[in-house]
Amino acid sequence: MADPQLAASSNSLFNLAFVSYIVAMAVYFFRLAFTRVSVVGVPKATRAGSVAGAMATMLATGGALVHLASIVTRGMAADRWPWANMYEYSSILAWGAVVFGLLVVQRRWGYGHLMGFVLAGAVLSMTSALLLFTEAGPVVPALDSYWITIHTSAAMVASSIFIVAFVATALYLVKDTAERRVARSDAEYGGSTVGAAQLPRAPARHEGSGGPRPEGYTDPSAGSGGDAEAYASPLAQREALSPVAFPLVPLVVVAAFVLIVWRDPVATLIAGSAAALLGTATWYAVPYLPPAAKLDALAYRIIAFGFPVWTFAVMAGAIWAQEAWGRYWGWDPKETGSFFTWLLYAGYLHARSTRGWRGRGAAWIGVLAFVALMVTYYAVNLFIVGLHSYAGV
Amino acid sequence: MTQTTAATDTRPRESGPRGSRLPEIPGPGETFARAWKALRRMSTALKLLLALTVAVILGTFVPQEPVIPTTVAEWRLGTSGPGEATAAAFDALGLFDVFGAWWFNALVVLLVTSLTGCLVPRIRAFVRTARRRPAAGRNLARLTHHVELRTPLPPGEALDRAETAVTRRRFRRRRIAADDAPGGAAQLATERGHAREGGSIAFHISFYVLVTGAMIGHTFGFTGQVNVVEGASFADTRIAYDLAQPGRWFPFAAHRGFVVELEDFSASYLETPSGTDPGAEAPGDLVTGGALSTFMPTDFSSRVTISEGGEVVREEEVRVNDPLSHDGVSLYQVRFGLAPQIEVRTTDGTVLYTDSVILTEAGGFVWQGVAPVARTEVDRQVALELILLPDAGFNEQGLPVSRSPEPRNPRLAAVVWVGELGLERNRPPSEFQRDRGQQLPQPVILELGETAQVQGLPLEIEFTGLPYWSGFQVSQEPGRWVLLAGAGLMLIGLVPSLYAYRRRVWVEAHPDGEGSRVVLAGVALHRKGVFAEAFEGLADDVAHRLGAVEAPAPEPHLETTERKA
Ligand code: HEM
Repeated sequence: MADPQLAASSNSLFNLAFVSYIVAMAVYFFRLAFTRVSVVGVPKATRAGSVAGAMATMLATGGALVHLASIVTRGMAADRWPWANMYEYSSILAWGAVVFGLLVVQRRWGYGHLMGFVLAGAVLSMTSALLLFTEAGPVVPALDSYWITIHTSAAMVASSIFIVAFVATALYLVKDTAERRVARSDAEYGGSTVGAAQLPRAPARHEGSGGPRPEGYTDPSAGSGGDAEAYASPLAQREALSPVAFPLVPLVVVAAFVLIVWRDPVATLIAGSAAALLGTATWYAVPYLPPAAKLDALAYRIIAFGFPVWTFAVMAGAIWAQEAWGRYWGWDPKETGSFFTWLLYAGYLHARSTRGWRGRGAAWIGVLAFVALMVTYYAVNLFIVGLHSYAGV
Repeated sequence: MTQTTAATDTRPRESGPRGSRLPEIPGPGETFARAWKALRRMSTALKLLLALTVAVILGTFVPQEPVIPTTVAEWRLGTSGPGEATAAAFDALGLFDVFGAWWFNALVVLLVTSLTGCLVPRIRAFVRTARRRPAAGRNLARLTHHVELRTPLPPGEALDRAETAVTRRRFRRRRIAADDAPGGAAQLATERGHAREGGSIAFHISFYVLVTGAMIGHTFGFTGQVNVVEGASFADTRIAYDLAQPGRWFPFAAHRGFVVELEDFSASYLETPSGTDPGAEAPGDLVTGGALSTFMPTDFSSRVTISEGGEVVREEEVRVNDPLSHDGVSLYQVRFGLAPQIEVRTTDGTVLYTDSVILTEAGGFVWQGVAPVARTEVDRQVALELILLPDAGFNEQGLPVSRSPEPRNPRLAAVVWVGELGLERNRPPSEFQRDRGQQLPQPVILELGETAQVQGLPLEIEFTGLPYWSGFQVSQEPGRWVLLAGAGLMLIGLVPSLYAYRRRVWVEAHPDGEGSRVVLAGVALHRKGVFAEAFEGLADDVAHRLGAVEAPAPEPHLETTERKA
């Protein structure tokens, strides 16, 4: 049934896309370094930055097209929808994140300079796809239904959106920490959001932009200061953060994860070093990130985008379970995990409008929700026996 | 952070002095009022929500008895899992059945109470605001978003045209005559975005609908499992089911009584030679039982007929993902297997037993089951332990194995047990008392159609056929439509609650010579960035319709900052 030649070309296209994403990611980071961000959060690229940006966009777009071809040929090779095992699922997740990043985050919302981080997420997802590689083949009957098409495609769309949301949330937490640390030493610049509730109530006249602002904040575009100020304190933001912790934490987390899941020292070493590199890049990029308030708003918008899709995915899953197993909900680990993820994202949305939880509190729930998503996806499939585990690796 | 520490530091000092000031003890009414107030707080709801997620984590990682009872049993015995003591602690906390535990239900009740406490005032307020007509605007020039336009049109005409622009954007409108307007000029007050709060309320209400649907299904529904051999049938009555889970108030009269006959069952497999599959075990391995290929079921389906009053009313195929629904009862294909047909006779030709024995897979394409052959004389019962290799062969070590799941070369082994086996008990035959019985040393090996003598007993066994059996789940789900409606309401509510936003726009037209001076102003309660863009679009549209030019703004520097933001 499976066509080996098509399957092989799908694999080569995958590799090509993988390489383009890595190169695009590097160029995006290069672009970030040539971006100037004023305190109001309007990114301006220098000439080198603009050129790099255009190149990176081209690379990422080309990579996404090649990747799409890989996914389509995979489906043709197996003669079914190309999302029935974890390799395919991880691959599509990465593709979805890149496409969502390019179309929505970069084009529509104008946060193109953050795309390096989005691509990093996609590259990680593709790495896990490589580690979980399975030959193209048919599926067991329970997976052969149009509801699975609906259910899994919705789940994939939502998950890839949540990957991008996680990127924004993590960057928010980093930027917010930097802003707070600088605020503690420098009375002039007090950070942009932040954890809004902990600061004195924001005057209502700031309605037009961003979020509430602390006292003593001056809008450089409104008058004095201008770019000079915008530069002075953001660079202090980098100094306020530990250059050791930034590579170390991702290294430990990713290495532990890869070691536990795959027990492969080489993969652990590679993934760990890549994560450390990414951590260092984040540390370096802190001054160029938009203000924390903007990142917070960005994360919220993305999650608000993904949440209804996830809700729908869970519902479609329940309907599929009804058709396949005769019960719509049975607290099977996968179902429980998806519900848990859903609850946490609902918690995030609530925390965003609850005093005392706004800002960092909400962001941590957002991080937790993403961890839940990953656990539901990897741990439940790999370690826990349930009806869903016959979906296999 | 620092604030909270300071607060805890000072508290003991205040209430410390020699108990002279006892803390006030609130009365029951007050306690209740306080608890109610706390429950209605959003932060409480959030904490409850997070507590629920913790419960759900436990439910994911601790094996759940209703889902995998065997693992739970092993944990309790300490043969697997974290040990006996931990398992006992888990049991005490109800962790093996989180979703049935009292504290989980208490949490849900608290959350629902909190939700109700939030929703009632919200609904009241929503109804009030939704009914109110758009309010007149004051001091429009001071609002975040505003533009002034000059137009040759008279005020009435100008407002008419502006109204067309907002109507196209589906704003609610209200015209206020100059005499009633706060600014002393005729005004058009408009508003949009009640869908946000309305959607959010619908979304939260959908919980009640979903919970109701689930409860209806739980209490009035029925789920049963039944295994049928090809050619056999069962009736939709209570006793027909091997395992029945009726809801608490499921009326037994609700069993429909129709008869389902399994005409025929078919399974097809995809065979992949092991050599090309790096994941497969080597031949001779115990797991694959020496199979040279891996087999994956690609399709399996049951052809059934349904009869009512002795007459066939339906004939259909039931597959995974393609259940059969008849008269409010759904029939799902869930499992299948082989059921060798055997006949056991005494040597003088008396038939002791003739039936198909439902076997279950023991791994490696080997099937097992027990046939209770003679059970009348309690101390001289006979049981056959059957082992079926559907595709018998030998592996490299010369041990008998089954090479595939398909009955290509079936071989049936029957181990004969005699003695006080306890077959008369109301238990599955496979749980017969091995310790009280005696196993005959020589198993009987049969090919399909073959008859063999039992050594040491005056019995003979014939392997007469090898049909499939098919396992169905049969259910009645009266809450199904309520659940679907709840899910629909949830989605319909969720989308506007996240994307819609409340905003108001006012247009005020002052007479100005021949024409008028028009002020267009707006505010948004949420999604301010989006509104800023929308307002610009609206302002351009209105200006275009009025044939207007933008008037020099009274405070130019403020105007520019606004535009930038
Ligand atoms: C069963 C658990 C609950 C879930 C899953 C849930 C989910 C949601 C979701 C998804 C939203 C939309 C978020 C948004 O508009 O930004 C929302 C909004 C809201 N929820 Fe809940 N909710 C739950 C319980 C509650 C409870 C118990 C309360 C009352 C304390 C509550 C009060 C609110 C309020 C006031 C909003 C509007 C907030 C806003 O628009 O900013 N919810 N809820």
